Formats: sequence, structure tokens, C-alpha cells
Amino acid sequence: MSESLFALVSDWGPVLIFASAYLSCLAVPIPTSLMMLSGGAFVASGDLLLWQVVAAALTGAILGDQTGYLIGRHGAAPLVAHVARSPKRRAALARARALVDRRGGVGVFFSTWLVAPLGPWVNFIAGTTGLSWRRFSVWDVLGETIWVSVYVGLGFGFASRIEAVADLLGNAVGLLAGLALAGAMALWIRGALQAREANRNGAG
Amino acid sequence: MPLLLRRIWHAAPIATVTLGVALAISVFFAVRLVAFWIYWADPAHRDQGIEGWMTPGYVAYSWDVPRAVTFDALDLPQRSGAPVTLADLAQARGVPVAALSADLRAAIAAHRGDGGAP
Repeated sequence: MSESLFALVSDWGPVLIFASAYLSCLAVPIPTSLMMLSGGAFVASGDLLLWQVVAAALTGAILGDQTGYLIGRHGAAPLVAHVARSPKRRAALARARALVDRRGGVGVFFSTWLVAPLGPWVNFIAGTTGLSWRRFSVWDVLGETIWVSVYVGLGFGFASRIEAVADLLGNAVGLLAGLALAGAMALWIRGALQAREANRNGAG
Repeated sequence: MPLLLRRIWHAAPIATVTLGVALAISVFFAVRLVAFWIYWADPAHRDQGIEGWMTPGYVAYSWDVPRAVTFDALDLPQRSGAPVTLADLAQARGVPVAALSADLRAAIAAHRGDGGAP
């Protein structure tokens, strides 16, 4: 599979990398990391230009993240208004927003590169819960810069063994994303158990 | 263990299901990672052959010969900006990729035999 993808990248170059970076930041399942790897390899082989590959990947990813954030912010507004009907819920939502605004930037940062498969969802959530646009954008641009540099850099550095790097990296990233999701669920379950415990003690 | 599972299921059913799925995903990728690691650690798989997705420039790079060697072997002008894969080239010329690959191997061997490369 990765071989036909390499062929596509050499045929379409930066245009394809831009489009796939944009779409994959909106949760369309496209292997953009592989495309950036092969883009880096074709820079090494003299077929593509470095600045074009980097610029295409970076602008595509940042515009995609911004779109996801805006969809979360405006698209989910009716849903949020519906949830926040009662004063109690409104207070809980306000607390959640304060937490996301204080800590959410770091989450956005890591979700753009270390656990990239979770990125699109984090963007939607950041928009929905009202992480400030400026904070979102700063962390997002930092994270995407790392994402693009790492993949294009690895593709460039290991250009002659690109198939091996693609296979290993793809699965390593999948493993990391799975573990991150499992960790988040473990935290959620712990919170739910503590809440039940507190409820029971309060009632008894 | 079933007791613990029942407790967390009652406390947070969605999170419990998601946790199960996340762990399954993790195991899936861990197994694949190990399998590919073993595959690529085998020296027999280290050398990349000449394949259809490669460009003449890429072949030159991965076989460590000057670009002129591969471009001349295929009768191509050396220009940048419009890379073409061996598969596309083979289709345009109506020959199999294997034929181009054989030409390239011959040219690379000749180049190395001339002492042009270390």
C-alpha cells in the first residue's frame, strides 16, 4: 500500500501533501504522515523542493486544525446551549471551560504530533469547550511545526530505507495513540468511581 | 477481576467500552510493530530493489550513483520539478518496469565497474 502512495507523492508532490494534511486534520483517514515521509525522501533524491514540501504540509495542517476548531466552536454551539439549560450544568460547563483554557493548550500541542491520530478530535473539543483562539493557535502552530519537521526530516534522513521507516513509524504512532486513549479512559473511569464513592458516602 | 470489571462498567460504561477498544488497538499495533521490526532487521530485506514507484532520481540516490547514470540509462533529460516514476515511464514507452529496472541495474553496474564510484 505504501508503495502506491509513494508513487502518488512523486506524481502530485506538494499539492497532494497540502490537501492530505488539510483533510487528515479534519479526521478524514488519510496517511499524511507517510506522505510527508515520502515527500522528505523525494527531496533527498532531488525530485521535490524542500521548502515546497514543508510549506505545503504546514499550511495544510494549520488550516485543517483551524477549520476543525471553528467547526467545534460554531457548529456545536446549539448543542452546548442545549446542555447548559440548568444553572447547575452551566456552572459545570464553566468549570470545564476554565480547565480547558488553562490546560488545553498542552493537549493541543501533543495531539498535533506525538499522538497525531487524536488531533482532529482534540481540535473539535477545543473549539466546543471554548479554548481561546489565540492560545489554540499558538500551541497548534508549534506542534504542527514539530510534526512536519520530524516526518519530513525522517524521510529525508532515511530516504534510501523509506519503506522500513514507513512501516515502523506508522505502527509506533498507532500504538502510542491507542495507549493515550486507554490512559484517558482510565482517568475517566477513576473519576467516575470516585464520584460514585462520594455519592454513596454522601447518601449514607 | 470480573468484579472489578462490573464495578467500572456500572460507573462508566462508555469509558469501559472505549478502554477495551483502545487496548485492543494498542495490542494490534504492538504486534504489527514487532512483526515489521523483525522483517526489516533481516539483512535480506534491507536492500531496496528497483520498483515502479521509484523515480530515476530516487534510484540514483538509494544506489548511491550520480543522477546522470540513471537518467542517461533511461534516455531522460535531467530536469527537476516534474519527477516521473518508473511505472509511468514504462507505461508511456509500452515496456514492462522490469525492462527499465534491468537497464538501470546494467548502467549502475557499468558505472561502478568503471571505478567512477568508490
